[in-house]
Amino acid sequence: MTDKNDFTGKQVLISGAAAGIGRETAVMLSKLGCRLILIDIDKDGLADTVSNLFGTGHSFNIIDLGNLESIEPAFKGIVDKHGPFDGFVHCAGIRCRRPIAMITPSILSEVLKVNFGSFIELTRCIIRRNNFNEGLSIVGVSSISSQRGGVSVTAYAASKAAMDCAVRCLAKELGSKSIRLNTVVPAQIETRAYVDFLKMTGGAEDITLTRQYLGLGEPLDVANLIVFLLSDKSKFITGSSIPVDGGFLSS
Amino acid sequence: MCSFPELKDRKFLVADTGSAVGQELVEQLTGLGAYVVVIGDPNGSPLQSISAFKESKCYISFDIYDNSETESNFHLINEKFGLFNGFVYCAGIGGVRPLSMTKYSFMHEMMNANVYSFVEMARCLAKRNCFSDGGSMVAISSVSSIKGLKSKIAYSASKSALDATVRCIAAELSPRRIRVNSIMKGAVSSDLNKDYIQSNIKLGEEDDLKRQLLGIIEPSEIADCIVFLLSDSSKKITGTSILLDGGYVL
Repeated sequence: MTDKNDFTGKQVLISGAAAGIGRETAVMLSKLGCRLILIDIDKDGLADTVSNLFGTGHSFNIIDLGNLESIEPAFKGIVDKHGPFDGFVHCAGIRCRRPIAMITPSILSEVLKVNFGSFIELTRCIIRRNNFNEGLSIVGVSSISSQRGGVSVTAYAASKAAMDCAVRCLAKELGSKSIRLNTVVPAQIETRAYVDFLKMTGGAEDITLTRQYLGLGEPLDVANLIVFLLSDKSKFITGSSIPVDGGFLSS
Repeated sequence: MCSFPELKDRKFLVADTGSAVGQELVEQLTGLGAYVVVIGDPNGSPLQSISAFKESKCYISFDIYDNSETESNFHLINEKFGLFNGFVYCAGIGGVRPLSMTKYSFMHEMMNANVYSFVEMARCLAKRNCFSDGGSMVAISSVSSIKGLKSKIAYSASKSALDATVRCIAAELSPRRIRVNSIMKGAVSSDLNKDYIQSNIKLGEEDDLKRQLLGIIEPSEIADCIVFLLSDSSKKITGTSILLDGGYVL
């Protein structure tokens, strides 16, 4: 039996790799022999991630995913230099917690652009001929807010729901090319963004956790699912949004 | 998520009446160094004649759909094998009948094999000295759980009910960090020659298979997903029904 968990010789692109889930996924993949191309806007964080990676041949690029026009030329430079991809993980995204009165058109379009627009643009670039190898798997990091109501997260939740919807459509559109797309749907995960959120709420109890039976998740828990979805172990899973939520969505 | 070294020496109980998925699962688990007890295997030995593990796998035959016997059988299994770290319900039956023929007895037989037996086993296992804290339970469900198909009233209802029990048992056992999930599978190659799939095709639903964009699923693919759900790699995943359908529901 071939080891379906061996990523030797494979190349994966990770956006938002400077921290949290993106960093954890990068480190795990590098342990499994994968070569990584990391992108983020946070140069220091990205350099920190790279210093944690196992193996050699990894590289990183500073790209502002909010500038959608810049993605295609930047991607072209990457693929010319490093060759085609076996996987793409979209972890990049901005949090946005604003009541409706404060969701101005510019805020809404900014959140949708960074979280969703860049996912589509990177996917559009990667699925071109010669830019991917057979069995390409694309994984987006969504959120439980895409499926449940949350106060003041309208813009963020919409951007994540848009991604869930896009993987269903694209899974169908690209199924004939054996390209798979899925999202992972984390609940509260102990990341820098979550710690910032707790500070913002002034240490009030996070009520989400009362329904997240198994407690706060770690980036590692999400990375495990992402790696499973990138691997050939999930060869027949496509167009799905899989919760890693400690029971939240089923409660 | 490496190659699941934590599964070595763990003990798993698998309810399976000889399916290809069950066989593949046993191969994968024992290959990882785990111990597996299969109950309901038609070629297995009678429960009374078994005394603990002789090798890494052990096949026991008894009628797993006779829920009046489950508690006493599980008592014996517990005496012989001790604490389990995981439970997989690969058993269950299929069946295709139009509404006019879906009588109570047929409905009941389907619900019994696909839901009641699973719940009864989970109930017996959930006792503290039978199932390890932090353990994982996996039930095999189907895309029928969330899809409407002709002549699948009983089957679909039973799989929906199964997924509902998974959510509720997950909530109830979460204080012990026991996780419960199901896999909603699409059409698997090893099932294609079964009577109920063939009669479905005769009912004019052969195009149905074409909706599975990535082709027909191999039993090993299902086993891969079960092993992931049994492993610590999924330790924050509970109450979920994972679609493993090659894009069928899209």
